[in-house]
Amino acid sequence: MMHSAQNPPIESAPRRARSIRGRLFAYLLLPLVLLLVASIWADHKTYVTPLYDAFDRALSHMAVAIAGHLDRGPDGQLHLEKPDFGPPPLHPPHAGPPPDDILNDHDKPPGPFGAHGGPFWRRLFPGARESFLYRVSLPDGRTVLGDEGLPIPPGSNADDFSYGDATYKQLVLRVASYRTQVEGQPVIISVGETVHRRNHAVQRLDTIIGISDGIQLLLVLGLGLFGITVALRPINRLRERITQRQPQSLQPLPLEPVPSEVRPLVQSLNTLLVTVRDAAQAQQHFLTNAAHQLRTPLTGLKAQLEVLASETHDHAQQERIARLYGSVDRLAHTANQLLALARAEPSANSPGDFTRVQLEALIGTVADAMLDRTIARNIDLGAECAPVPVRGVHWLLHELLINLVDNAIRHTPDGGRVTLRCGLHDGAPYLEVEDSGPGIPPPERERVRQRFYRAAGSDGQSSGLGLAIVEEIARSHHARFEILDALEGSGARMRVTFPAGVAQ
Amino acid sequence: MRILLVEDDPLVSDAIVRGLATAGYVVDAVTDAESVQSRLDTTHYDLAIVDLGLPGEDGFTLVRRLRREGSSLPLLIVTARDGLDDRVNALDLGADDYLVKPFALPELAARCRALIRRATAATANEMVVGQLRIDLAGRRAIDNGGRVLELTRREWSILECLAHHSGRVVSKERLIQAIVSWDEEISGNAIEVHVSRLRAKLGEAATVRGIRGLGYRLDDA
Repeated sequence: MMHSAQNPPIESAPRRARSIRGRLFAYLLLPLVLLLVASIWADHKTYVTPLYDAFDRALSHMAVAIAGHLDRGPDGQLHLEKPDFGPPPLHPPHAGPPPDDILNDHDKPPGPFGAHGGPFWRRLFPGARESFLYRVSLPDGRTVLGDEGLPIPPGSNADDFSYGDATYKQLVLRVASYRTQVEGQPVIISVGETVHRRNHAVQRLDTIIGISDGIQLLLVLGLGLFGITVALRPINRLRERITQRQPQSLQPLPLEPVPSEVRPLVQSLNTLLVTVRDAAQAQQHFLTNAAHQLRTPLTGLKAQLEVLASETHDHAQQERIARLYGSVDRLAHTANQLLALARAEPSANSPGDFTRVQLEALIGTVADAMLDRTIARNIDLGAECAPVPVRGVHWLLHELLINLVDNAIRHTPDGGRVTLRCGLHDGAPYLEVEDSGPGIPPPERERVRQRFYRAAGSDGQSSGLGLAIVEEIARSHHARFEILDALEGSGARMRVTFPAGVAQ
Repeated sequence: MRILLVEDDPLVSDAIVRGLATAGYVVDAVTDAESVQSRLDTTHYDLAIVDLGLPGEDGFTLVRRLRREGSSLPLLIVTARDGLDDRVNALDLGADDYLVKPFALPELAARCRALIRRATAATANEMVVGQLRIDLAGRRAIDNGGRVLELTRREWSILECLAHHSGRVVSKERLIQAIVSWDEEISGNAIEVHVSRLRAKLGEAATVRGIRGLGYRLDDA
């Protein structure tokens, strides 16, 4: 910032409340997202247990199936009665080499078998490698058939299933044990399989649930965003209506399309507007009364002095009356200008007062009113006009021009020249008054606009308010007031430039 | 010429009565609108000067009432209020002119003279400007020596138009409209020629003042 050396930026920036939109996001959508994430976790928990149970049951069916094929041979030893029992229940019938190959071949180390290349498994769990191990043992721990080292999950009674996790030969296994009796001989049949399959099943379910819940999440976010935008639309409309108003407008805002939550706000605003309007009206009323109370006695005084002067033939007395008249005249002038200044304030005028004003017609009226004064002092009052309209308060612009011309006449010597101009300059309407007086040196040009400022050597008749009124009225019309050099001669040229293209 | 003044402020009222007396008018002053009717019933007035801020019935109401009753009395409004609304309102209601306080007595006298002249022109078909008597029906102007001025048709039209607005600036465009018919064309220079000839013929009787860039004004002398 340019002024930062003189004016360091304020330390504590004004606390800005978050927008309603932001609040809705924070308090509505954020918890919703958290809720959805929690529900994904809950879903995972809900299906993972039954899934594991199902896998365990399938494993135990294997043990039961093996039990069904056990048989006590003539040697009293248990052996598998029929080599070709069915494939493991969760395996498709044609998947992999038949399990009985391995079950028969007791001398071979128990190798992995099972789910190789089955189209179903391949499709479902592309990387799945399933290993399957079994062991038939006696309660005293002796192994009859199968893998000797397969751990047996602890269990108690006969006809009981027990399950456990174990690591064997660097394989993470799930083992199911079935305690039963084969032809009076209690046996424990343990079946182990690696956990890849069940883990893959869980992962797959997690993926599916994650995708579907993610889509749901996005849908909720989208709907929420849409809903918030739609719900906030009336408030945006209200904001637009307020920003599009004329700055001076004191008209109440319509309550009709405003949602009930914002209605009290608009009502308070309207109450405030009415208060301001009442205050402005009271001010106008006061000014009207003040004008009346000031002007009437001044009129009486002036007129009485005029009569007195005409009735007196004593020169000394006439001179004193003339001085008195001059003072009263000046007092009247100041009173008029103070009133004009008060009434020129932007708050005192409503947009309804702004109409189309033809500048050349205004110049005609003002010149007409000032002509007697200029003729009396042999000043050549003239005009150079091109027809041009502006948007403004007619009587204020009238007051502005009267003050410019009055100022010009005051500073023009007898026999001088005052010229009123209007037209378009670079598309912007302007009003100009040029005199043949001494002019205003550039360093003075800012000061003469100040209230009650009187230039050195001024005639003592000026109130010092004329150019302040011009400045004030120009400001209320968004016009620019400049003091320039005269086009010819030494005088001053006062120019008021209006904004381009606002008069319709 | 008799003028009725309706003004409640004694200082103003007294000064106007005396000031207009020096200008040659007889002025009767009343202080409220209620006394106006009885005065009008008994006396003929050429003009009424009405203050807007009267006690009781205000000036607006009085003007409206007089016009509704069909009075053609010329009405000059005098007021301490200078808002444009008041001016427009007063003129809309039927007032003939409007003067804002504080004014100088010569200005008031000039306005009175212009209003009475206009009213006379309408009723007697005659106007007096300075030393000049303008006979509207006979379309001729007579100077103070009783001599009828020899004016061309266009010079007469210009004089008539200026006389109707005497004391006010009449623009060149308006003068052109007053002297030519639709199919004719006339330049601003031609108007200047006509005006300078008219000025020469009027001599000392009345003055046609040229206002640079604005038009012409007919003055008493």
